[in-house]
Amino acid sequence: MFEIRLESIGGLGANLAGKLLGEAAACHMGLNAQSFAEYGSEKRGSPVKAYVRFASFQEPMRISSPVRNPDLLGIFSMGVAGKENVTSGIKRDTGVVVNTSISPESTRERLKLPPCTLYTIDATSAAMELKTRVNMIMLGALCAAKKEVDLSCVKAAVRDSLGKKYPEMFESNLRGIDYGYNNALKYTVPDDGKYPCLEYKEVRRAWGWDNAPLGGVNPLFGSTVTNRLDSSREGYIPIFNKDKCINCGLCDTACPDMVFQFAEGEYKGKTSPVNLGIDYYHCKGCLRCVEVCPTDALEPGKESDFNVKEHNMGCIHLLDKSFTFDNVGADGIVTGESTVRSEER
Amino acid sequence: MERVFKSGNEAAAYAAKQINYHLMGYYPITPSTQVAENIDLMVSEGVCDTVLIAAEGEHSAAGVCYGASAGGGRVINATSANGLLYALEQLPVQSGTRLPMVMNVACRAVSGPLSIKGDHSDIMYALNCGWIILFANNAMEVYDFNIIALRLAEKVRLPVIVAYDGFFTSHQKRVIDVLEDDKVRKFVGEYKAHVTALDPDKPVTIGSYMNEPDLMNNKYQLNLAMEEGAEELKALFREYADLSGRSYMPVEGYCCEDAEVILFILGSSFDTACEAVDRLRSRGKKVGVVCSHCLRPCFGKELGDVVRNAKVIVAADRQDSYGAHGGNMSMELKAILKDNEINAKVITRVYGLGGLELYPEDAEKMLMSAFEGNVKPFEYYGVYRGRTGEDKREYFESVTEKNALKEYTGNIKNSTLMPRRLQAGHGACPGCGIPINVNLLLKGIEGNVVLLFHTGCGMVVTTSYPKTAFTVNYVHNLFQNGAATLSGLVEMCHERIRRGELADRDITFIMVSGDGGLDIGLGSALGAAFRNHHMIIFEYDNGGYMNTGYQLSYSTPMGAKSATSHVGKDRFGKSFFHKDNPQIFAAAGIPYVATCAESNPGDFIRKAAKAQHYAKERGLAYLKAISACPLNWNDNPRYERSVIDAAVKCCYHPLYEVEESVTRLNYDPDAKGERIAVGDWFKMMGRTKHLTLDKYSHILEKVQNDVDRRWERLKAMSESKIL
Repeated sequence: MFEIRLESIGGLGANLAGKLLGEAAACHMGLNAQSFAEYGSEKRGSPVKAYVRFASFQEPMRISSPVRNPDLLGIFSMGVAGKENVTSGIKRDTGVVVNTSISPESTRERLKLPPCTLYTIDATSAAMELKTRVNMIMLGALCAAKKEVDLSCVKAAVRDSLGKKYPEMFESNLRGIDYGYNNALKYTVPDDGKYPCLEYKEVRRAWGWDNAPLGGVNPLFGSTVTNRLDSSREGYIPIFNKDKCINCGLCDTACPDMVFQFAEGEYKGKTSPVNLGIDYYHCKGCLRCVEVCPTDALEPGKESDFNVKEHNMGCIHLLDKSFTFDNVGADGIVTGESTVRSEER
Repeated sequence: MERVFKSGNEAAAYAAKQINYHLMGYYPITPSTQVAENIDLMVSEGVCDTVLIAAEGEHSAAGVCYGASAGGGRVINATSANGLLYALEQLPVQSGTRLPMVMNVACRAVSGPLSIKGDHSDIMYALNCGWIILFANNAMEVYDFNIIALRLAEKVRLPVIVAYDGFFTSHQKRVIDVLEDDKVRKFVGEYKAHVTALDPDKPVTIGSYMNEPDLMNNKYQLNLAMEEGAEELKALFREYADLSGRSYMPVEGYCCEDAEVILFILGSSFDTACEAVDRLRSRGKKVGVVCSHCLRPCFGKELGDVVRNAKVIVAADRQDSYGAHGGNMSMELKAILKDNEINAKVITRVYGLGGLELYPEDAEKMLMSAFEGNVKPFEYYGVYRGRTGEDKREYFESVTEKNALKEYTGNIKNSTLMPRRLQAGHGACPGCGIPINVNLLLKGIEGNVVLLFHTGCGMVVTTSYPKTAFTVNYVHNLFQNGAATLSGLVEMCHERIRRGELADRDITFIMVSGDGGLDIGLGSALGAAFRNHHMIIFEYDNGGYMNTGYQLSYSTPMGAKSATSHVGKDRFGKSFFHKDNPQIFAAAGIPYVATCAESNPGDFIRKAAKAQHYAKERGLAYLKAISACPLNWNDNPRYERSVIDAAVKCCYHPLYEVEESVTRLNYDPDAKGERIAVGDWFKMMGRTKHLTLDKYSHILEKVQNDVDRRWERLKAMSESKIL
């Protein structure tokens, strides 16, 4: 049994990549296969896990639970680093393929990888350059990492399922796969005892049968404020220029994430609600505010060019700031790939 | 035979395509929705021609199916969880009047608390409905059983359910070998209905009024049909094996002949347990596993024969008949053992509720526990006590009349100081319109608020356990019943105040509905409107069932793409016009009806304040906002406000209010010279962009004409003093 796990955030096409790997095995490699995703998390910006298993037809395909000890692990976004179970279950012979622009050595440090074979590729930049998608570059790199994933069969699966639907993308998709295959940087993570292999853990919460309020009633009102959602951003943020702000409040009518921190203050010598700035823990980077701002007090900026930490107002209304944030991202309920929603958007 | 890679839902749809059902009546519910979606896709591509009817709820969907089956054609449905329970009333009608059909049930946990994940708490409610129930363990079986089910249904004249595990089977893609279309069609043959209400020359009465002594005989006939069904299923399994090379038995055992301990477990878990059995056998443990592929009729003798030599049987139930010390399969097993004079001991483990995974090690542990002395006969497997010492935190001040002041409700600027009843950290998509609209509403409302949300994206992304985004009292109920639930709460508040049990504090009660919640929930909402309770109904209309992956709702624009209204060579998108809820509520005679849009935020906040006033003084107020869904409208979240603005300017969503039955326009794009064509709005969204192509111009024209007609009527009403 050959087992693959893909870790991503929604919108990068990891779910589709998993399906294509399954199709490559089932329809082109003559193998038995299975592919599925962690459901309840397919929205843009939310964490996604996809699983694939291959085996010969002599070996029964019996397990329908998640892949805990992958032979091949694909990490589509460094944004998932540190989240639950992302790097768990890595074995010595696991191939770990990471989409990143930093060096393999730094990637190893950021992800705290135990001994394994690491492959890095800057799939995001390559996808933009080659007019394809991150998942195509990653598919190529995954093929480079493990011979069990056959390059020509993956291409055939892409041809069969995407080629028909989006013929205009087909050539660039193939170029993307080839690029990933030829450009993944291999690095053997040394057995230096630096980071241990993490066991895959089932989630357990503080509330169990003995202490959870009966009936699922939740008395911790407003507790979602302990979620941070910055991993939902796609590289852009609104930047607030206080000098240009006229405190009209329009941004506050356009923000789905309540990030603008208004308080009673003084504007032009009069008592007025005043915009103190942005809570970047909860900003998902949709940039709706930028479009409604009548002055240029809100402008789009690249997150990487901006010191978010320094300008982060947080939520000023909190009574208690002693908690640690859960790094979650959006948590949609979308339940599997839709037959209408195009992954090519 | 062709090898394909499909999920359970896709496999069911593929079989349905090959059978080419006359009609499918359905209502989308996770995780079964993809059955209808995939059939719709195939219809749009012209590969089958099933008539799809998206009913306004599962109860109606079952009614559509019942009516259609009385017409003598082939009928299919698919549902899950509360959808099955909502349809439940119709199930004995279908079986009791002996009209065959097939329904797929992708099994899921029953609410509440609401869970969308797989377990068997829904399907066990169907045991007493007079339907044959087949249970498929994997996608291959889903396909095969769908074909067998139809033959069986028509042979014994009973409806048949094909059940399978939600997500584990419904969504997992597996390798399956499908038969050629002609082989399937030959196997199922032509349907010659015994009864049809469509032959004027031979009139029949379907659904007699029947009491004693006749009903006894009628039900005995049903019982006989079940007995015949048992024999027929075995014969069909044999016939199908010749056709496909895949042979099934009603009861399937693995390594049971010499097993001392046998695990009795249904669905995908059976396969997992086989893996556990192999592992334990390799360590010398004599264990086995058994499942049933047919819950009704019950194959007790066959099950007894498989487990006869066991000392202990571990019955693993993915549901509980609370208080009975076991789920339904456990209890049936005990009865079967007694009937067959088998003395094995039964221990029950309730496992895997709400989609909790079963790994092979779990099955191993369940089996091994039977070898221990002093084992508990009944236990929940997979529960934990929780960590004590967790303190109760207060993140915010509660939002009450003390801090939600009237002075914040006057205008956009001051409303920035209104404390949040819905807080940050919820999981909506970037740019989602729902929190924006809910916040605009709440900016206009002073004092205490109690919120009730229908199921939908707005509910799911805000209250994902163990957290909640609300800082005021909040209740969830299912689509059908939100307004009724809030009515009860409102009246309890008034009564307890009258009795002096509660301090007389003003509370504004607001129901929030969207994602099509006022399709299935319209009856309940109108009931509340007719009774004129002091409350607000707020609808965020995102034009589809977005929480389940965007199926059409009755307010999806005509021609729009959705997962159940595909655009293809034979279809152009949704086939009927968007409904007009504000006019429906206006016709109910409630004191205040208004439409609002985030593109006119001042107007929005003002209307919220007005709605609060009417809810306090006069009765029910209904407010509707059009709400952007970047994910499914398929547009850029950044520019949604201009998309909403276009919806207003093209008069698809005109801004007006109906106060004490008198209509007034709040914004007239004609008068301001700002009117745009509906096509100018449609081209901004991926879901409707295709309608601006020449080949769909006739559809666009129809929508434009309908929008114009409604707009002219509105203008005429606004010019009148009494309308």
